[in-house]
Amino acid sequence: MKQSRLQTIVRNSACYALVAPTFALLAVFCLVPFVWAFAASFYRYEIGGEATWIGIANYQEYLSDPTLLPSFYNMFILTFIGVVITIVFPLGTAKLIFSLSSEKARYIYRILFLIPIVVPGVAVMMIWGGMIYSDSGLVNETLRLIGQEDLTRGWLSNPDTVLYAVSCIGFPFASGVNILIYYAGLASIPDSVHEAAQLDGATGFRKFMLIDVPLVLSQIKLMVILTIIGGVQGFQGMFILTRGGPGFRSMVPGLWMYFNAFSFQRMGYACAIGVFLFVIILALTIVNLKYFKSSEDLQAAK
Amino acid sequence: MKHRKRQDIVIHSILFSILFLTMLPFVFVVNNSLRSNTEIYHAFFGFPNCIRDMTRFTIWHMQNKDDLIMLKMPTDSEKTESVRAADVPARKVPYDEAMSHLWKETTKGYRYSWLVLRPYMVNTIFVCIITMLGVVTIGSISGYIFSRYKFPGNRFLFLIILSFMMIPHVLTLVPSFLLVKRLGMLNSYWVLILPSIAGGQVFAIFLFKGFFDGLPEALFESARLDGAGYFDLYWHIVLPLSKQVVAVVMVITILGTWNNFLWPFITNSDAKYHVVASGLYLMGQSQVASNFSTMFAAYILSSIPLLILFVYATKPFMQGVTSGAFKA
Repeated sequence: MKQSRLQTIVRNSACYALVAPTFALLAVFCLVPFVWAFAASFYRYEIGGEATWIGIANYQEYLSDPTLLPSFYNMFILTFIGVVITIVFPLGTAKLIFSLSSEKARYIYRILFLIPIVVPGVAVMMIWGGMIYSDSGLVNETLRLIGQEDLTRGWLSNPDTVLYAVSCIGFPFASGVNILIYYAGLASIPDSVHEAAQLDGATGFRKFMLIDVPLVLSQIKLMVILTIIGGVQGFQGMFILTRGGPGFRSMVPGLWMYFNAFSFQRMGYACAIGVFLFVIILALTIVNLKYFKSSEDLQAAK
Repeated sequence: MKHRKRQDIVIHSILFSILFLTMLPFVFVVNNSLRSNTEIYHAFFGFPNCIRDMTRFTIWHMQNKDDLIMLKMPTDSEKTESVRAADVPARKVPYDEAMSHLWKETTKGYRYSWLVLRPYMVNTIFVCIITMLGVVTIGSISGYIFSRYKFPGNRFLFLIILSFMMIPHVLTLVPSFLLVKRLGMLNSYWVLILPSIAGGQVFAIFLFKGFFDGLPEALFESARLDGAGYFDLYWHIVLPLSKQVVAVVMVITILGTWNNFLWPFITNSDAKYHVVASGLYLMGQSQVASNFSTMFAAYILSSIPLLILFVYATKPFMQGVTSGAFKA
C-alpha cells in the first residue's frame, strides 16, 4: 500500500516540480518572517546588537505603553468611519450608475470613476496634506472666500480635527475599484427580482434597502473585511501626513510599531506590537467568517 | 418612458457633481503646477499668468498688433546680476521670444521635477514589469496545476497557499526587513522584486485557479488524447482562454507595485534604487518641496505611466472584475 502511494507521488512529480517555485518563494519571504515575528517578540533586539531573551516583557511593556489607549481609540474611530464610508458612498454611486437607462452612459461613468486610481497613493496623501489641508490650502482658502475666516485652521495640526481630516481624505470616496465590485454585484441580480418587487409596490429607496442591499451582501462583506483589516494595520497615511501628531492625537498602533523598529531600533518590541495586531486581525476575521453569512448562505437558508 | 427620462436627468446631475468633487483636487494640482510660488501665495484660486499672457499675445499676434506685447523678461546682463524678478522693467519683446520665454517659465516645474523623477520612474517601471511577469507566470502555472491535476496533497497544498492570505503585512514588515538585511539584499532591485512576487502570487493563484476551474474539461481531455503535455495544454489552451483574468492579475500587480511606498522606503536608502512612491515622499521632505509647482508637476508626472496603462488595460480589466471574481 505504502509503495503505491509513493508511486503516485513519483508519477506526479512534474506537478510538484511545477508548484515548487511558489512554495520556495512563500517559504523564504512569507513563512520565515511570519515565524521570525513571533520569535523576535520575546527578545530585546537592536540591529547590530546582541539579542537577549526577555520572555513576555515586550508584551507587558506594550500593555502599559502610553500610546496604547490613544492609538487604539484612533484606530477604532478611523476604521469605523472607514467602514461606513466604504459601504455608503461607493455602493450609492454604483446604484446610481446602474439605474441609468443608457448602457453607454453606464460604461462611461464606470471608466470616469476609475480614472483617479492612476494617481499614486503617496501622491494623493501629499496632495491632501500639502494642497487641501495646508494653511493656505483649498479648504481654508474656500472658507476665506466665502467670508468664514474664523473657521480656518490647520486641519492636520489641530488636535480636534486631525482624525476627521484624515478620515475625509479621498472625499467623496467614489473612485476606484470598489464601485466596479458593487456594480458587478448589482448587475448579477436577476431582473425577475426587480419586477417582483415592483409588483409588490416597493419603489425607490425602500426597494434599494430591501432588494439590492441584501443581494449584494457578499460584496459588502468583502469590502467590510478588507476595510477593517486595512484599518487595523494601516498607518501609511498617518506616517506621511502627521507622523502621529499632534501629540498622540493621530497615532495608530502600526505607526508606533514602525517608529519603534526604524526610529528607536527596538526590533523585538516592534515585533510584539505586530503580533498583537495580528491576533486582533485574526480574531476579527474568524468572527466575520463564522457569524456573518454571505448572500449565498442566506439564499440557501430560505 | 417620460418618467424614465426625468429620472435619468436627475441621476446624471448627481453623478456629475460626485465626479466633479472627485476630480477637483486634481484640477487644482494641474492648474497650480503651471503657476509660480508668488502667484499661488498671492491667490490660491487663479489662472496661470503665463498661460494667460501666452493666449493674449497670440491673439495680438494674429491681429498683427505685435507692438502691444510687453513682458518683464530679464536681459542677459540682468540675469548675471540676478536682479529680482519684480524689479525687471516690462519692455517690448518680439512675439517668438516672448512665447518661448513664457513657455519655459510655465513648464519650469515640470522640467525640474522630471530631472528628479526620471531615474525613479525608470526603476519603478523596471520593477513593475519584472514583478508582473513573475506573478503572472508563477501564479498561472501553479493555478493551472492545482486546478487541472489530481495529485496527493492537492487540496491541502492549495489551502496552505490560501492561508498565507491571512498573514497581515503589519506582522511581517519588521521581520521581513530583518530577513532581507540578513540576506544582504538591502539596496538592490532584488528586495523590490522577490518579496512582491512571493506575496503577490497568492491572490493571483486564487484568481487563476478559480477561473481555470470554470474551463470545460472536454477541451483538456481531447488535447490529452492527442498527446499534449503539461506545457502544451498550458500554452495552447489555458492561456489563450484566460486573457481577462491575466489582465486583472497584471493590473492588480502593477497597481500594487506602483503604489508600494513603505517597503521600498525602508529597504533602500541608496537613492539609486528609489521608486516613484518613495521618491515623491523624499521630494516632499527636501528643499524641492518649497517650490509648489515642482511638487505638483511631480504628482502629475508620477501618474502618467499608469494613465497610459489605463488606456490599454481598462476594458479587459473591467470585464474581469465585472465577471464576479470578487466575492467573500
